[in-house]
Amino acid sequence: MGIGRRMKSWLGEERVDELRDRLADLAEQSVDRHLRLAVTGLSQSGKTVFITALVHHLLHAHRSGSLPFFEVAAGGRILGSRDLGAESERPFPLQQAIAGLDREPPHWPASTRGLSEVRLAIRYRRPPGLRRMLGESATLYLDIVDYPGEWLLDLPLLESSFEQWCEQQKRLFEREPRRSVAAAWLERLSRIDWQAPADAAQLKVLSEEFADLLQRLRSDPHALSLLQPGRCLLPGELEGSELLQLFPLILPQWPGDEAVPGSFLAELKQRYERYREQVVRPFYRHHFSRFDRQVVLVDCLKTLNRGETCFDDMKLALTGILQSFNYGRSGFLRRLFSPRIDRVLFASTKADHVTANQHHNLDRFLELIIEDAQRDMGFEGIDSRCMAIASLRSTQAAEAQVDGQTLSCLRGWRKENGEEVALFPGEVPIELPRREDWTQERFRFIDFAPRRLPHNALLPSHHIRLDQLLEYMTGDLFR
Amino acid sequence: MSGQDQFRKPVWLDPKQLESGSPAVHETASAREFELQQVREVRGEEEDNTPPVRGRRRCGGWWRLFGLSLGTLLVAGVGMELYRLLQWSLSIHPAMAGAVGALLAIVLISGGVQIRRSLRGLRQLRQVERIRAQAETLLEHRGQGQANGLLNALQRHYRDTAEQQALNDTVRVLDSAYSDSEIVRYLSDHAFGEQDRRARRCVQRYAVESGVLVALSPWASFDMLLVGWRNLRMLREIAGIYGVAPGAAAQWLLLKRVLHNLAFAGLSEMATDVGTAALGGSLAASLSARAGQGLGAGLFTARTGMQALRLCRPLPLEQGEQSLINSVTKGIVERLGRSKTAE
Repeated sequence: MGIGRRMKSWLGEERVDELRDRLADLAEQSVDRHLRLAVTGLSQSGKTVFITALVHHLLHAHRSGSLPFFEVAAGGRILGSRDLGAESERPFPLQQAIAGLDREPPHWPASTRGLSEVRLAIRYRRPPGLRRMLGESATLYLDIVDYPGEWLLDLPLLESSFEQWCEQQKRLFEREPRRSVAAAWLERLSRIDWQAPADAAQLKVLSEEFADLLQRLRSDPHALSLLQPGRCLLPGELEGSELLQLFPLILPQWPGDEAVPGSFLAELKQRYERYREQVVRPFYRHHFSRFDRQVVLVDCLKTLNRGETCFDDMKLALTGILQSFNYGRSGFLRRLFSPRIDRVLFASTKADHVTANQHHNLDRFLELIIEDAQRDMGFEGIDSRCMAIASLRSTQAAEAQVDGQTLSCLRGWRKENGEEVALFPGEVPIELPRREDWTQERFRFIDFAPRRLPHNALLPSHHIRLDQLLEYMTGDLFR
Repeated sequence: MSGQDQFRKPVWLDPKQLESGSPAVHETASAREFELQQVREVRGEEEDNTPPVRGRRRCGGWWRLFGLSLGTLLVAGVGMELYRLLQWSLSIHPAMAGAVGALLAIVLISGGVQIRRSLRGLRQLRQVERIRAQAETLLEHRGQGQANGLLNALQRHYRDTAEQQALNDTVRVLDSAYSDSEIVRYLSDHAFGEQDRRARRCVQRYAVESGVLVALSPWASFDMLLVGWRNLRMLREIAGIYGVAPGAAAQWLLLKRVLHNLAFAGLSEMATDVGTAALGGSLAASLSARAGQGLGAGLFTARTGMQALRLCRPLPLEQGEQSLINSVTKGIVERLGRSKTAE
């Protein structure tokens, strides 16, 4: 009987695996610099495009000059970088994404349906100084995980029991538009005796209806974000599994404190626990518990287009998600043993969909969405900043004469049909518009098709502020 | 509708009628349009329009009166004396009067040219100060469309100089999405790289040279003169690198500012300097006692040079000077070590 197996029997299999992973990481981190970057964002906020563009620019940073504000690249100190994705079990489909953007006409990468990871090794020359004693050049390893944004919303479930979750959901479903969309389903729930013995077939039907409901709430015209459980929206490898036959009990009156064994209530509770332990917790432990820095991508334009309910929902969802991460300053030892996120950047993506003079307003509007989360982070004493970025610029700045005034506007191709359009998409407000101001005439942020991102010969005009984001997130590690 | 005048509605346009979206920032006409609209949004940030000139308030009042009256008195006195000299020489011989008159003319003309040149230097130095103040306010400003004034001023300042090309190239590739503070930072990083390198090299050379001179010179009182002379030469050279005509008046003003800044240097700056000096001093003291003095002189020159660089650079300098001071220390110690082994 090997030592490994004996330890497993003493400590439990998971702990031993985790310990081994940690030791391997530790050995690596103490020699070279290592950065796990959390790219956090709800679905459709542009995570995949962001990762693709970031990695693409970094892979060409040694000669392209496309990152003028990224000090180590602009100073010519990057010697080269390598994509170590092939070593991973689930490599990020970088080549497909780049090929899609390089094609004529280019198209956006498909939305993410599963987990994948990127690993980059960046070799750089050390700046003159004491660290040069350690060697002329060094390597920084950059890890990024891509995953469907829907799953992120499961993280807050770790904190709450079934009763608490139902209570939260109940509060959500008391408000429009959830109440009217779910009216029929809620009606059916209230007619069932939850302390009666469970009927698996009925639970299956109800959970399927609930999944349908979530899909409807997610799509237009509601476009809500706070939809749990996330795997019911996008099952991934759990397609058809019984683990996903789950829904919150939203009843006017809770059926009783004690669940009768074998009843509907007991069964649902058990499923919820199983979902938490077998789906959410491993996902969290393997991918979300050990980050050093975090980028939070937010699509502000979506909320402006959709209105106040969408804004409120997104704010709730983001605040809930961000509470699941460990924040705090981490020193050298802490970084080795239990890293915490010590720097956060809130990025409003798709900044190319508004005119450049609105970028500052976009920052201010983003602050409205994340103000609660940012306040908590400020309490922990960590840096955070807002920035309007575009991973891949899909529009061109242009000017037009309207009523004798020069109006700066955008020119691009529509995402739906590829038709060329020019428009002034409206101003981004810097405070929450009043209820009657959320109108169709006020904002018209349309989706643009991407412009071609060449395979090499990258330019600073292919992105907006990606270089400043990199400088903020990683600049100090290259010093 | 109450919201009507609070926001601009989106507008659909015909793609074919657009003026093509060049990222050009130098189209002043279009930019002015946006200033009008942005005044409303950024009103709070624009108020601190502080005048850049520092020493002005101290010269006011009685001092100015004193200076003016003294100057007038001297000019009148000298003028009258010269006139009498001319008259006197005329009474002796017309040829002598011709010679004196010619001499006077030469003095006047050359003096005039010299004054004009130094006034130009002075004007340029003031212009640099204005540009830098403008850049500093822009760095704080997060909106867009106010940087045109700065770009025009910079282009005017560097018109018909060797640096014009680099500046224009950088301005041409400025991205249309950059905000004002980003434009300033971009220019500062990319248009002035070559000048910064030259100025730093110049500072380093002079600092090491004066350090070595002091360390090796046999007359202690002579050292001070040497260091002063090298410092003046260095100021003149740095001003030249950043496109300020090195006239006497400009040099004098620059020297005054540099000394002022050195005297009132921030505590943190002092602390780092003392730190390096102590470290370097112990290094140099291992060579000899005089080498320690040489190191001090070298560091002083380096600090003077960095101050001059900051004052002559049209955009604020962000990086610290620690690396330069380190390299100066190293350079002096190395050279002294070499000369010591050569003995």
